Parts: sequence; structure tokens; C-alpha cells
Amino acid sequence: MLDLDAYRDAMAKCSHCGLCQATCPVYREDFLQTHLARARMDLIRAVLVEGELPVTKRFREVLDRCLLCTNCSRTCPAGVPVDEIVAAARNRVYQGKRRDPVRRRLLRRFMGQRGMKGLMGKAGTVAHKMGWTPAELAPPASKPFEKRYKGRISTEGKARARVAYFVGCATNTLYPDTGKAVVDVLVHNNIEVVIPEGQVCCGMPALADGDLALVQEMARKNVPVLAACDVDAIVTDCTSCGLMFKSKVVKALPADDPLRPRAEAVAAKIWEVTDYLDHVGLTADPPPLAESYTYHMPCHRSWTPTLDDAPRSLLGNIPEAELVELEEPDRCCGAGGTFFMDFKELAEGIRSAKLADIRRTGAKTVLTQCPACRSFLRTRLEDRRVTHPIVLLAEAYNL
Amino acid sequence: MKGLAKDLKRLVASERVRTDPEDLFAYSADATYYIKRGRPDAVVLPENTKEVSALLKYAFHHAVPVTPRGAGTGLSGGCTPLRGGIVLDMKRMGRILDINRRNMSAGVEAGVVLADFHKAVKKQGLFYPPNPQSMNVCTLGGNVATRACGPHGVKYGATGDYVMGLEVVLPDGSVIAPGGLVSRSSAGYDLTHLFTGSEGTLGVITKANLRLLALPPAHRTAMVTCETIEQAGEAVSEILAGGTLPAMIEFLPRMAIAAMNRYITPPLVTEGKAYLLIDLDGTRDEIQAQADQILGICRRMGVLDIRVIEDEQEAATYWTARSNIGGMLLAMMKKAINEDVAVPRDRIPEFVREIQAMASTLSRVVLGIAGHAGDGNMHPSIFFPEVNSDAENEAEAVIRKVVRLGLSLGGTVSGEHGIGFHKAEFLHWELGEVQIRLLKRIKKAFDPKGIMNPGKLWKEGR
Repeated sequence: MLDLDAYRDAMAKCSHCGLCQATCPVYREDFLQTHLARARMDLIRAVLVEGELPVTKRFREVLDRCLLCTNCSRTCPAGVPVDEIVAAARNRVYQGKRRDPVRRRLLRRFMGQRGMKGLMGKAGTVAHKMGWTPAELAPPASKPFEKRYKGRISTEGKARARVAYFVGCATNTLYPDTGKAVVDVLVHNNIEVVIPEGQVCCGMPALADGDLALVQEMARKNVPVLAACDVDAIVTDCTSCGLMFKSKVVKALPADDPLRPRAEAVAAKIWEVTDYLDHVGLTADPPPLAESYTYHMPCHRSWTPTLDDAPRSLLGNIPEAELVELEEPDRCCGAGGTFFMDFKELAEGIRSAKLADIRRTGAKTVLTQCPACRSFLRTRLEDRRVTHPIVLLAEAYNL
Repeated sequence: MKGLAKDLKRLVASERVRTDPEDLFAYSADATYYIKRGRPDAVVLPENTKEVSALLKYAFHHAVPVTPRGAGTGLSGGCTPLRGGIVLDMKRMGRILDINRRNMSAGVEAGVVLADFHKAVKKQGLFYPPNPQSMNVCTLGGNVATRACGPHGVKYGATGDYVMGLEVVLPDGSVIAPGGLVSRSSAGYDLTHLFTGSEGTLGVITKANLRLLALPPAHRTAMVTCETIEQAGEAVSEILAGGTLPAMIEFLPRMAIAAMNRYITPPLVTEGKAYLLIDLDGTRDEIQAQADQILGICRRMGVLDIRVIEDEQEAATYWTARSNIGGMLLAMMKKAINEDVAVPRDRIPEFVREIQAMASTLSRVVLGIAGHAGDGNMHPSIFFPEVNSDAENEAEAVIRKVVRLGLSLGGTVSGEHGIGFHKAEFLHWELGEVQIRLLKRIKKAFDPKGIMNPGKLWKEGR
């Protein structure tokens, strides 16, 4: 249940080989061993499990200065689930109170209604215009996705499949264009889309704060709604939402929780949308689209084996569209959800390497599924557009 | 050490001097943390030679121990700060200074990551062969300090064969540059190669000039499944004596294959007792000739299977799996100790057979063996299904037996990891007391106050 005690053996699997140095975005910026998965595991064990060292401000900084990007886990020959251990450690240290009460209330409301809308949305727009919110944050869209699309969107003829669409916070209020493209492309390819009512945030921001109670609160709303859908698959456009439903939501629930079987059923059906489409294949051939684009791989992608290449493979179906690969397509951009707000300089440093790589390609369109990456990259790429891969496909179809 | 942090912050920018308990803890060991940890008084991350010089001058004056450190991937405790003092993290000195294609050489700072260097020279059609399996993170400074090697050793030799010159800061802060940019030199004692393998006990290596080769135009990977260990050993001897020199030829036991199959499709059959993973390089014609010869030898010997992997991407999965064996086995076990005894090539079958006999007598730990068969550099490894004092005792006893065995076959206690503190006692066994005394006198000449990486190479008080 993301309880630190359950990870004792997993932590012990860290052999201190240090291979995590190759891919940890924070270490590659700081060059300090303390900010590396190997030391984080060792310190969490020494401080929170064995009690050899006290909990200090510096220890909390070591815990906080992690993007939960999962790059170290992917590199780790023993597959230590570092992100879960750090989240569980944050839960142990902060007991759900990593942020002050005002911010916690805001976050809870944000998650409950999936993004900034209503009063919050208006206030957010004003605050954005006044320069009170970080410039890195995209302004909320005028009309959230859920006000544009509802219920069942049927295909013209007989549908070959039916999917439920989980709409994350960012798509709902920041990037409804992604949501529109998801629905349009699916329907155009003869797949019926159901948008279940009563969805809330996937819970990732709460997981990052170690606020397990809030993760569970979200799960208790989402899981019954999604599990009740009579569909072939559940799709999401966001790789982090997908990661939550694939592996974290189940783990966040107590072992004997009656909701767990349904959470497992959701986990079995969840797909990232480009991965799903690539898997079932397109029924409509996309017309040519002369566009050169590059692809930034979101960090939260290893929850299915085919996700790494799915967008490349899917967009490979568009004649004349040309992918210019980044030198390091899998290198983190530094956004990390809201990490960039907590560690501004560090995130800036991580991003600068990514930006240089993107500029080198000369591509005018940058694609990535993660809305945090999209927003964070966009603010420093004035002369390029950053969008979701599915949007490019929708454009090719002229939808 | 009162006032140390304050003093150090006068020498380098304050954010690069760390003294919080958490930071000191993070620098308490390398990959041998389970044997022993130290606790430094400060961690300092210098950015240039001038800073290293100033730091050493200070340490020398105040007799503060200094332990240089690269990526901390060592398997013998070389960078464990046994006597406290300062840990010098060299990772911030990570610039490739120049790649000279016409001289086939490169100048690098000590903190350059090996894989980054591989990539950089490859872009110019050049090749730097040493490839310890931690190459994605380990540093060139650490490689030089331990004479690291890796699977390329069989054809291309070890790090020492590529060091042309060094920049070293001596314990009193003076900076010397033994060697240079020429690949041979008869100019007196070879200090360049005395520092190579000195494990930070004589001074701090800050820069190196490294020799480069032309990048072989092509590669091919082959996997040979052998019925017995003897057959694998014999195949290696036959291949090499027959005039084929593979770029890599790795000996892998059945246990390793089971772990590697996680990466490999289609999975390898596991009915062989020993496997040879081979990399051939050269022009396509050369490779074809080598492959034909190897196929001929293996067929004649009646091996179980030979798989030649034409596709480069597919071949890469085999080598990725190879470099991850240790970690993967660890996912199944609680702890591992990796040794690196090297024996003369012709004694490999005997060595492996004896090791397997030893393995069958163990009850608390598992003894496995893999290695760079081409040059006799073997890696006996001890795995712990459970960690407790009985297992520890059994492991310690068997390690001593393995090392004694290696020495009795004319081998060395360390083929490529270095001595650190973990193998200090074994070095006495190999060199004998006369040589050890000589080493100590050499050390004294460079480091009269004994501040450089104290507690390493030999047992103290002997």
C-alpha cells in the first residue's frame, strides 16, 4: 500500500552499482552523489527504516529533490522501484502535509474538479495575465473539455470497438485541443468513445506529495466510474495518468480493500491513446501532411513495453510527415509535474540540455504526450509549437 | 576537524563543499558498502587543477586525509574514506579537452564518463577500447587509477596500454605532468604508469592523455553454447591459437544465461553448462574469415549450438544483458560480492572446475563464475540468498580459498578492479613482504605524511 515497510527488500536490492548516474536528470545537473537514487535508497533506509540518522531539513531536501521520473528504475539492473520508495518515504515524513494548508486545499480542489475552472479558472487567468503564476504554466483554456464533449460519441457506421476516455486535468482545462483530437481520431477510425461522468484527477500530484489519503480519495471516485464502463479499453492521452492507473492506483489501496479487484480491472484495460491506436491499427489512411517534427519521450512511459515507440510508429502512417530524432529523445525535460516550481534553477538547467537538443533538429513541431513537458518546453520554444502526437494525426485527417 | 568546512570554503565555492551528515553518508563507500563504510569530514567537488592543488596544499599542511573519487562504482573499496578527512569528488572535472585525430590521442579531465568519451571519439571515426562494464557511468580518472579493463582486454589490452601522459597533483599541491603525447618514451622511471593503478595513494590524477585507435568498420556477435566447461575452455584456446583474435570473448555459466534471457529474444537454450559470447570486429571480409574459422573449430568440437547474430541492434541486446548480469542476479539474491581473480589463459578450465567443486560444498551462499575468458580475467561471484553471520563467514572463507586457488595457478588477486581495502591482505599473499615494503617506500617518497587515500593497498601495521 505504498507503505515504506513493504519496500524493505526492494531497497536492499540496490547493490550500489551506481549505474543510475547515467540517467538521473537531477544527478546529471547537480553532480552530487547525495542526489542520486543509490544514496536516496541508502538514506531512506538509514533514516526512516533503521533510524541511524535523524530526519533533518537536508534529508527532506534529498527526498524532495527527486522528479519521480523513473529513469533510475529503468536503468537499474535490479529494477528497484525508486519512485514508489521515494513517494512512500515522503508519505512517512510528511504524513500528507508536504504543503501548507492553503496549497493543500487548492490542490485538492484542483484535483477534484480536474483543473482550474469556474472561479479558480477565472482567477487563474487573471493571475496569469498579472504575472502572478509561474510563466511556465500554460493559461487555462476558455472552455474546459468536459463542456465541449460529453457522454457517448458514436461512429458513423458500426463501431469496431468501444473505449472509455479518461480525461486528465491538463487536457480538461489547459489543452482541450488534445482531447478533441483524441475523440475525433478515434471516431474517425471507427472506434466509439465514451466519456464517463464523475472522473476526477488520476492522483499523481498527490502521490508526488506523498499524500496517500488523497490518492485513495481520487481512486475511490475514478475506479468505480471507469470499471463500470462496458468497453474494450480505457484510453488516456497522458502518460502519467496512464502510469497511475496501470500500476500505482492498485498499490495505493490497502491489500484487502474491496475496490482493489476493480482497480485491477481498470489497470488491465488502460492504454495510452497512441499506443492503443498503433495496437489496433488505423482503418482510415491518413492523407499526406508535409511536416517535420521531433518527438520528446515523456519519462512516465515504461508501464507498457510498446509505449516507447508507439507515437513514432503511429505517425509513421502519415505520408510526407518526417520525424527528426533528438539525440537523446528519452532525456527528461525537467518539468516533473510541479517540480519545476519547487526547484526552479535545477529544472531550468535540466531543460536547457533538452532545448538545445530540440533546436538542433530544426523541426518546427515538437511532440510529446505529457502535458507538463508540453507546457514547460513551450515557454522556451517561442518559434516552435509543442503539442500531443495525436493532434498531428488529427491534422493529417483534417479533423 | 574544527574549522575544516570554513577553511575549505575559502579554497572553492561554498556550494561545492558539503558537510551535512546526509552528504557525508552518501560518500561513505563505493559498491562495497556492505563490507565497510567510512565517514569523511567533508566532501569537496573541485572544478579545475588549481583548486585541487590548493586543496592538497591545505590538506598536506594540516595532515588531513584525502580520498579521490570518480563515479564510486569500485568493487574493492578504493574510494571509501577510511580515515575521514576530505573526499574529492572529481565528477565536476568532466571536460574532454581535445581529440587529436592526426596524433590519434585525446586529452581529458579525470571526471569524464567513459561512455561519453567512447561516443565523442567515435564521432571522429576513432576508438578507445577499454570497456569496464560500468562504462556508462565510470570515469576515466577512476579507470586510470585502477588500471580498469573490461571485455576488450583480450584483443586491445587494459587502460594502462592507452595512457600516454598524465597531469597529477602531488600531496604537497605541486602539479606534475609525467609522460606526454607520445606513445613511447624511454625517459627515466615511468612515473606515468606508476600513477596508473596507484588508486589515489600517490596523488590526484587530474588529466590524462589517452591513445586512440581507428574505429573498426564492422562488428558481429556470436554465441556458442558448450556442453561442458572444459569444452568452452578448449574452444577459447583453439580459437586464439588458430589465429582468430575476437574483440571480446566472454565466458558465461548457465546461471548467467538464465538471467540474460530477460533481455534476449529468442531466449537462449539453457542446457549448456558454459557459453561463449564473442564479438568480432574489423572489415566485413576479416569478420567473415574469423567467423568461418570459429564456426569450423566449434563444429569440429561438437558444441551444442552456435548462434551468429547479424543484426547490430539485436547483437546489442546480448551485450546489454552481459553488462547487467550482476545486477540482474542481485534482483534474485540479497547481496553479491564480485571478485576479479585472473589466471593464465590455459588454466581457466582447471580454475573453473575447482571453483565449481567449491561451490558444491557451500550451503549458505552461492558461488558463480563468469569472466573475460580471452585473457583469463575471471569473475567469481558470491551471492547471498539471505544475509546473516553464517553466510558472511562462509563467503569470507570461500573468497580466501578462491584467491589462493588463483594464485596457485599462477594468477593475480586482481585482474581489473584494483585492491582498495577489500583485497589488501591478498596483495600481501601475491607480492610477499619484500615487495610490499618496497611499495611502502615508494608511497613514502610521494606522500611523506601519508595523507593520500590512507588504509588502502596493504594491511596497516605490518
